[in-house]
Amino acid sequence: MAISEPRVLDHVEFQVEAGKIREFVRATFAEDPVHTSADVARDAGYLAELATATHVVVAGHFRDQQAMVTALGLSLERVVVGSVSWKYARPVVSGDRLRGTRRVVSDEQREGKRGGSMRMVTLETEYVDDGDEPVVRVRELLIERGTSS
Amino acid sequence: MAVGDRAPARRIGPITQTDIVRFAGAGGDFNPLHHDPSFAQAAGFRSVIAMGQMQAGILAAYLSDWLGVEHLRDYEVRFAAPVHLGDVLELSCEIVGIADGLATIVLSASVGGEAVVTARACAVVGNG
Repeated sequence: MAISEPRVLDHVEFQVEAGKIREFVRATFAEDPVHTSADVARDAGYLAELATATHVVVAGHFRDQQAMVTALGLSLERVVVGSVSWKYARPVVSGDRLRGTRRVVSDEQREGKRGGSMRMVTLETEYVDDGDEPVVRVRELLIERGTSS
Repeated sequence: MAVGDRAPARRIGPITQTDIVRFAGAGGDFNPLHHDPSFAQAAGFRSVIAMGQMQAGILAAYLSDWLGVEHLRDYEVRFAAPVHLGDVLELSCEIVGIADGLATIVLSASVGGEAVVTARACAVVGNG
């Protein structure tokens, strides 16, 4: 069933911090000094250190994933994340204050190959900066396996 | 940059509990599946597994170290299999097309020759 009016699930807001960028650098084995040196970032034409590509996953600190799963009526033990995508309007820069609104953009039931059905829910979070300009858009595909019958 | 160009080889691991905890601390994913062995076993896994976002981030860093994070336009990952403690990730990243200054890139992380994550990206190259 397609949803015509995207339903808002949650909101998140956070500041992008140089120290948090460093945590992601270590955690993802990134080596480019543009993430850790303000001088290198300025030479590349930016005001401060650039975040790693998937930095907005930090929203996990501020979101209640269990509440999201409950709101969607999903059974957590049968849910897997199938894919995630990021679309960038510009790089995320240390000092940015980002606001993200997560919406349900599709919710479909699909028949599985071996009988039973799967529910596929696509969530989209648009992150905007203080000027309400888009920065990055994230889509997550959640797959809920059907109960074996 | 040309079609067929590949990023320098990168191998990450063996993945330790410390690696997973470090990513959990960075991103805020405290699902016990990623740090509590008895919870993971009850869920049917032989050990704790890494959060998909960790592999997604590792693969993205591999790409952005090569092409520059400021040049990324799109990045999409698909999760094929879980990553367990002790797994060694072999990363690959290749330009498969270039049009209008935008490169299409295909990436993967494999364990023992089996892809655990695949990805596609689009990045500005050349004069773009």
